[in-house]
Amino acid sequence: KVQLRTATYIRYKANSECQNNVSSPTLDKETEDAATDNDRSDSGEFVVTMLAKAKLEEQGIGVKGRSSPLLEVGTQETPAFISHRDEDVTAESWRQHRKHVFVLSEAGKPIYSRYGSEEALSSTMGVMMALVSFVQSGDNIIRSEHIVVFLQKGPLVLVCVSSSRQTEQQLRGELLYVYYQIISMLTQASISRIFEHKKNYDLRRLLAGSEKILDGLLNLLDSDPSFLLAAVHCLPLACSLRDSLSQILQKAITPNLVFSILIARNQLLTIVQEKTVIEDARLEPADVHLLLNLIGASSAFQAGEIWTPICLPLFNPDCYFYAYISYLDPPECTVCLLLLSTDKEAFYAVAECKRKIEEAMMAQNSLSLIAKVQSYSVSQVGVSDLRHFMYKPFDVPDNYRHEEEKMRLLDLYRYMHNRIHSTSRPLKLIYHVAERETLLAWVTSKFELYTCFSPLVTKACAITAITKLLRWIKKEEDRLFIRYPPKYSTTPNPSKSSRGGKSDQQDSTDNGFLSLL
Amino acid sequence: MTTVILLMASGMQEKQYTPSLLNFFVYNPTFGQKEGEEEKKILFYHPSDVEKNEKIRNVGLCEAIVQFTRTFCPTKPAKSLHTQKNRQFFFEPEDNFWIVMVVRNPMIEKPNKDGKPPTVEYQEEEIIDTVYGAVVKQCYSMYKLFNGTFGRQMEAGGVELLIQKLEKFFYRYLQTLHLQSCDLLDVFGGISFFPLDKMTYLKIQSFVNRVEESLSLIKYTAFLYNDQLIWSGLEQDDMRILYKYLTTSLFPRHSEPELAGRDSPLRPEVAGNLLHYGRFLTGPTNLKDPEAKFRFPKIFVSTEDGYEELHLIVYKVRNSKCDRPSSVELTRDFCEQLDGLVGPQLTLLASDICEQFTVNRRISGPEKEPQFKFIYFNHMNLAEKSTIHMRKTASVCLTSVHPDLMKILGDINCDFARVDEDEEIIVKAMTDYWVVGKKSDQRELYVILNQKNANLIEVNEEVKRLCATQFNNIFFLD
Repeated sequence: KVQLRTATYIRYKANSECQNNVSSPTLDKETEDAATDNDRSDSGEFVVTMLAKAKLEEQGIGVKGRSSPLLEVGTQETPAFISHRDEDVTAESWRQHRKHVFVLSEAGKPIYSRYGSEEALSSTMGVMMALVSFVQSGDNIIRSEHIVVFLQKGPLVLVCVSSSRQTEQQLRGELLYVYYQIISMLTQASISRIFEHKKNYDLRRLLAGSEKILDGLLNLLDSDPSFLLAAVHCLPLACSLRDSLSQILQKAITPNLVFSILIARNQLLTIVQEKTVIEDARLEPADVHLLLNLIGASSAFQAGEIWTPICLPLFNPDCYFYAYISYLDPPECTVCLLLLSTDKEAFYAVAECKRKIEEAMMAQNSLSLIAKVQSYSVSQVGVSDLRHFMYKPFDVPDNYRHEEEKMRLLDLYRYMHNRIHSTSRPLKLIYHVAERETLLAWVTSKFELYTCFSPLVTKACAITAITKLLRWIKKEEDRLFIRYPPKYSTTPNPSKSSRGGKSDQQDSTDNGFLSLL
Repeated sequence: MTTVILLMASGMQEKQYTPSLLNFFVYNPTFGQKEGEEEKKILFYHPSDVEKNEKIRNVGLCEAIVQFTRTFCPTKPAKSLHTQKNRQFFFEPEDNFWIVMVVRNPMIEKPNKDGKPPTVEYQEEEIIDTVYGAVVKQCYSMYKLFNGTFGRQMEAGGVELLIQKLEKFFYRYLQTLHLQSCDLLDVFGGISFFPLDKMTYLKIQSFVNRVEESLSLIKYTAFLYNDQLIWSGLEQDDMRILYKYLTTSLFPRHSEPELAGRDSPLRPEVAGNLLHYGRFLTGPTNLKDPEAKFRFPKIFVSTEDGYEELHLIVYKVRNSKCDRPSSVELTRDFCEQLDGLVGPQLTLLASDICEQFTVNRRISGPEKEPQFKFIYFNHMNLAEKSTIHMRKTASVCLTSVHPDLMKILGDINCDFARVDEDEEIIVKAMTDYWVVGKKSDQRELYVILNQKNANLIEVNEEVKRLCATQFNNIFFLD
């Protein structure tokens, strides 16, 4: 539950300028300006602004001005993408975008549009709203040259118009991700409450500045296969290195700390979690994706340390965690430490954990070891006919370097994924010989594998290649995947903590593939 | 202490509902554009007892959807709308004339305890767009066969005439739709050909030429044996829809009594000629009766510059049928002439063909359980062959494989349709059946193998064997 006791929080923030303004809940519009002054040098303050804003909003009072660092992306554009806000929506080029995504409220108020500004699209959004209410409730899809998918979640309506050959289920899944990303910033409970209170509320006021985050998410959805496979990309590490990092994290704990996550180059290094409260519940891959996107989309995090509320929608959509985010290797900023706590007052305690972690990593020279790690390529597997593969748990793409080709390959995998996981007629295996490549997809109870060969490969060759590949993966399993996150306990009797994770880890598995082939 | 065990019979049965037709309507948004005149857009609406405002609302929704999709792609607007409970298909056969068909999704009704209403689970994925989209197109083609295009109707008698014709045709035709048994073959809309040796084929050709020579009213002829086509002089598209009409509507109507057996009282008086076994399936059923009125159905076939209206004469001798579209008024004299000319010759031919039929049968083996289960279709000549479908009439379509497998075939067909190049797709279903699809040069072949323990290589070999025996002239990708 979001307990916005703004008054109590401010008490220990000595130089907060917001103090005078937000302590009284009966604020009138004029004095709110002072609340907006963000002094980014003191990270704790940001939280106040954000929380305060939400609380005030709920009471029907608006707060102008800037928002939290989660939504603030600084003055420079993140190089990965450019804003499409000002696009001309009547132009042919707008129509030709591969995938449009729109978010609007039940009352028809626009919230977000991937290409073009919401104002310019208000009439199109109006039509969408009319269509949604006209057609029976539930999710709806229009199929034409494009597929139009409508998804309603609570008071929000999400629409996707795509010519990308993806199926409706996959597009609906992507819309769900967009919804969850919005939830990760506001929580589901808040959104329901706000709209209950005021049906035609303009949610953009709370999401101002967040377009980049949603843009970033949509770009990732297009180009990163980990969303399709609902799996998290792990950086392949030598067992010993991963273990030593996990140990470091396990030792640096504090009460109410629930997850400690180390990320390098947007891939997971290790994740450890609290034992007693969380028990065996795991962080869903989707939550990890959302976290990674949030961090990646915002360059503000690269400055020092950030303490911010964040919601993990699949874990619990109605409450906030408090996230401590800090890059360990400025200015390159490739290794990021993420500590999640349930206690919003715990900033200093958590910061202390980070210091301990940093120290330990320095002592072990971890950073340079991490820097040396290479994502592996198909050639390492040593299978000659294989061009590319995706194995869940996981892998790394090679070949297909050109952007369009990557997209096309990913589309092919998506189509196979959809056929294999069809709800009414799922399949075990697909072997598809096409003009430019031969694809093989295979699902067993232990794994999913998607591979791509040259179009002239013979069936016998393909099977041999797959066998070799699976053997290689089995051999490298420990290096490639994180099966069970190690655990710790933050309660006073830590005797049962630490290494508990490893022992129940390995189930002795053969993948079962030998018997099938 | 005794224990009593009560075994309650489970009245908890799941009920499975197959897809069914909910709505079918034809509209033109350019009629009735003024406020209050929306009803004018609707040219046909089924079911007709729906309240006027609801009709207008549904048509309005379709218009809105088409408009909306035009925002993103002006040239190719909406084809279908998927909702949880039903699916709508949109088809624009002629400028601004839209046909919309709404199909209720198949569903499972699971009973609840304690008198609560049963929970309904909708199975959206069971309906394949290409299959039902093809059905809508077929509805239009069938209408066009018997009535000509909408445009033509408008020219001849304005909106009123069009409405009348639509009502008359669709009222009956919709009752013949069996949506629960639509599958891949509907997508193809193919024709089953009867393989003949050269001699017999030439005999038939010369027979047809002679008939057309002697009776100048005859424009085109088509020759069928049982339900299979041997020769046709019609345009492919016309023949395709005519073939569907003949095999699913006309022939079953007339063959039923014949199947009733010689001594059965159901057998109608076949006032036949002792010289031959021929009779008219359309037109006069009894030539001897001078009072009897008769009619030939009129059909429209395409010509170079438009359409031609012809009478359809279907003449049958035992199992061979000849149908001849011919123009102009047909008199009794003409019929007698036809009967006299065609009857005897056709009878002779029929026995020749019959012989061939038995020979074919012997070669291909008993049809109880065909060795390979496959479907073959050639886009160029519309030839289709299926060893999976056992009896296909208007009301019944038995397939010897599980419907889920047929749907997998439908999926593979969709995938093939996306590109022009030759492809091959092999899948293994959850039930361990293997399905192989091959597309090569306008031909498609689908094979279903029930070999649970086979691996990819073995499956490949099996299919190669099939191709070698049945399709040895055709190159398929390996």
